[in-house]
Amino acid sequence: MTTLSEHLIGEIRDLPAKYPQPRSAVMPALDLAQEEAGYLTPEAMSEVAAALQLDPGYVEGVATFYTLFHLEPVGKHRFYVCTNLSCTLRGANDIVEHVKGAIGVHEPGELSKDGLFSYEEVECLGACEYAPVMRLDHRYEKDLTPQKIDALIAERRSPARPSAVEPPHPPGSLRERADLPAKRGGEKAKPKPRARKPKSG
Amino acid sequence: MAEQRGTVGGPVLTEWFATPDLHKLDVYESLGGYAALRKVVKEMTATQVIDEVKASGLRGRGGADFPTATKWSFVPKDHPGPKYIVVNADESEPGSAKDRYLMENSPHALVEGAAIASFAIGGHAAWVYIRGEYDLPFEMLRDAIAEAHAKGYLGDHPFGTDYPMDVRLYRGHGAYICGEETALLESLEGKRAQPRSRPPFPAVKGAWGMPTAVNNVETLSTVPWIMRHGGAEYAKRGTEKSKGTRMVTVSGDVQKPGNYEIEIGVTYRHIIEELAGGPMPGRKIKVFWPGGSSAKVLPASMLDTSTDLDGLKALGTMGGSGGIIVMDDSHCVVKGAARLLRFYAFESCGKCTPCRVGGNWAVRTYERILAGQGSQIELGILERVSDGLQNGRCLCGLGDAAGWVIESTMRHFRNEYEEHCLHNVCSVEAALAHA
Repeated sequence: MTTLSEHLIGEIRDLPAKYPQPRSAVMPALDLAQEEAGYLTPEAMSEVAAALQLDPGYVEGVATFYTLFHLEPVGKHRFYVCTNLSCTLRGANDIVEHVKGAIGVHEPGELSKDGLFSYEEVECLGACEYAPVMRLDHRYEKDLTPQKIDALIAERRSPARPSAVEPPHPPGSLRERADLPAKRGGEKAKPKPRARKPKSG
Repeated sequence: MAEQRGTVGGPVLTEWFATPDLHKLDVYESLGGYAALRKVVKEMTATQVIDEVKASGLRGRGGADFPTATKWSFVPKDHPGPKYIVVNADESEPGSAKDRYLMENSPHALVEGAAIASFAIGGHAAWVYIRGEYDLPFEMLRDAIAEAHAKGYLGDHPFGTDYPMDVRLYRGHGAYICGEETALLESLEGKRAQPRSRPPFPAVKGAWGMPTAVNNVETLSTVPWIMRHGGAEYAKRGTEKSKGTRMVTVSGDVQKPGNYEIEIGVTYRHIIEELAGGPMPGRKIKVFWPGGSSAKVLPASMLDTSTDLDGLKALGTMGGSGGIIVMDDSHCVVKGAARLLRFYAFESCGKCTPCRVGGNWAVRTYERILAGQGSQIELGILERVSDGLQNGRCLCGLGDAAGWVIESTMRHFRNEYEEHCLHNVCSVEAALAHA
């Protein structure tokens, strides 16, 4: 029993041929794995490593470096609230407090009871003219107010409006291009499971 | 259509931004888009392209102000293997949003500029490294590249020539350090993004070990205009040393935050008070970061400073990535600096000891100060840590930038630091409480 689907493993094996050197496939592969599995378990990372013929420790080292790779379960809808200076000057800390209260959590990364939501405080999102801003479901939400947050949450809790709650692009559309030449990779390397270390500092 | 909060219909970069659907190839082309790339690949030599850009005086808009044509000319002409243009679209500098604004409104300008740059260095592929949070710009670039392929402007025979050309996308996954060019290259190669020691410089050994020029989004988005109108026409704008126009993002305590295209040489007063509408009613500007959080702060008394490179250099600061953060008298400078140090400490990649240790040291010191546990000792620690972070002790500028925040805020607002450290008083809060 594997964590990732056979189809996805096949797709990951095709990735290295799309880059001048195969190692560049590691982030796109982790991205696909995360999209399918929700977050990166040690097993998922090992399977990515095997498909790319890389050491599992190496793949884990990459995954732990970047903030958009999640190593713990996350909400279906994630509030990435910017609290860097430009947003803080325009009330980002109040926005964070409001989000916490509205989804009923105390800590960044904590899941709401229904598993629908989690939040993180993130660094500058590069949309400072709309401060305070956050990223939610692959889109930026701008000029945030408590009312806007409440509306965004209500939309996502309401089963009546599914179109409003799904990410704007179907799964897989974040892939660079479908038509790139690809060839199958070689033999499968043996995965070496390892204990996972949290990112230090 | 992307939302617009900033200049539309400016002189160069935002010239066509008022036209609806500019992100579509047909619209972009009807205004004159892709004429430059067509001319370049069909009629020009690489040297001619570099000379034209040299005549424009264009400098890199990612923060380093390095002359673009010179950077391209460093890429060896006789190298037998692939050569790359890598587009730095990892815009993460606090206060800077202009690359996003350009990509969302005019993705084809970047595609065209990247292709022209590739031609200029004798390469056949440009790689756009775009930060993972930029979903919309990513999608727009992806669609723009697909359109350009379908139209035959990219691919094996662009415009019917035998000069293969491609523009590719690579998504980052959240790391400020990827804005540093060698860290970006490491990340593009599928590694943890930690800066490389130089030499070798990217021009000799860059992406995948091949000669590479790394250019910023805005820099390359300017190139098609220069090729259409000529370098001399571009050089008519700006000042003696800093030619042309550039984008600035104004954010923070102003009435009209936005991305504005300015002619280089205008003053910060013009940008902040006229373009961005000045401070909120009843407030006074206290301090501003002239070029992203990594540029040393200037107090409001220096609002008449010019955006010219030399003028800023004389004050020990820089125009950087164009992110102008404005803080008014309702905010505490010490708290602002503390927030930025938290950012630099978090984003340190951990490779160089002064940055890895110094950043966290500063954060802990600020925490003590803001918890009312400051003293003369804390002031001394901040000064020493600031020095330890700076002066080329690390492989890249992240540590320096962290040190500059401490140093420049302490230099101009020593009184606020002393109130906090020696008297456990925040005069800003006190003033607000009595207002």
